[in-house]
Amino acid sequence: MSTQVDARGLSCPQPVLMTIDTIKGEKTGEVEILVDTETSKENVSRAAANQGWEVADVAEEGDEYRITIRRE
Amino acid sequence: MSFLGFFRDKLTQGSPGDNGNADRGIMVFEHTGEVIQAEGALKRGGWEIRVMGPPPEIQSGCDLVIEFPLIERLNILRTLEKEGIPPLQMVPVTGPLLQPVDIFHVKDFGEYLMVRAANMKLTVEKATGMIVNVSGGGCPDVPYLASAMVGRSLGDAPSPREIGHTLCGYSLQLAYEETRRRCLV
Repeated sequence: MSTQVDARGLSCPQPVLMTIDTIKGEKTGEVEILVDTETSKENVSRAAANQGWEVADVAEEGDEYRITIRRE
Repeated sequence: MSFLGFFRDKLTQGSPGDNGNADRGIMVFEHTGEVIQAEGALKRGGWEIRVMGPPPEIQSGCDLVIEFPLIERLNILRTLEKEGIPPLQMVPVTGPLLQPVDIFHVKDFGEYLMVRAANMKLTVEKATGMIVNVSGGGCPDVPYLASAMVGRSLGDAPSPREIGHTLCGYSLQLAYEETRRRCLV
């Protein structure tokens, strides 16, 4: 089961910082991040990739985005 | 929120008698592009100036002003006229409502530090100096600036002034310089 980060309603850079803090703790596996702006979606995806995580999926769900990142 | 709204909301504190700005003035320009050009010309000339937000009492011009040493008013005016960028107004800072507004906002997130300059935010990890986020603006070059800077340290990241093409790039440069000043001591 993947870890989930709910960053909906938060403004930049908080979604990014929450994501980085989570993946630093997880090291490997799968993390889902929920955000509600396109800017946060892009920033979180960029930050995760920079930390060596693969952005496996970005699902648009209404006004929200579910970003799935993975690392083996 | 517009640039102007951002600045208007941030009244500085203090009274005219104790602000230490009695010998300072502000220059108002019509466009931010002129502010950027004037800043470059005046810094090349060796003047101590600062780009700031406009004070509440100034109703004309763009969303950035330049604070300058009042005693150099005529020399500065001559320089700017020679450059073809004369200011709309040159006003002495004589009261709290004429105090220019600091364009920087700094927020400490524990392990991270965010510096906002006008409409752009730069966030770094304090321990490593790594840039973890660039956001704000809405200009077309922001995604490019972010991709070029995020993941790199403050010492290695390219300067937004060199790779940016918009006012957002300029604001990010100010945030970048302020962050470096705070973190690379």
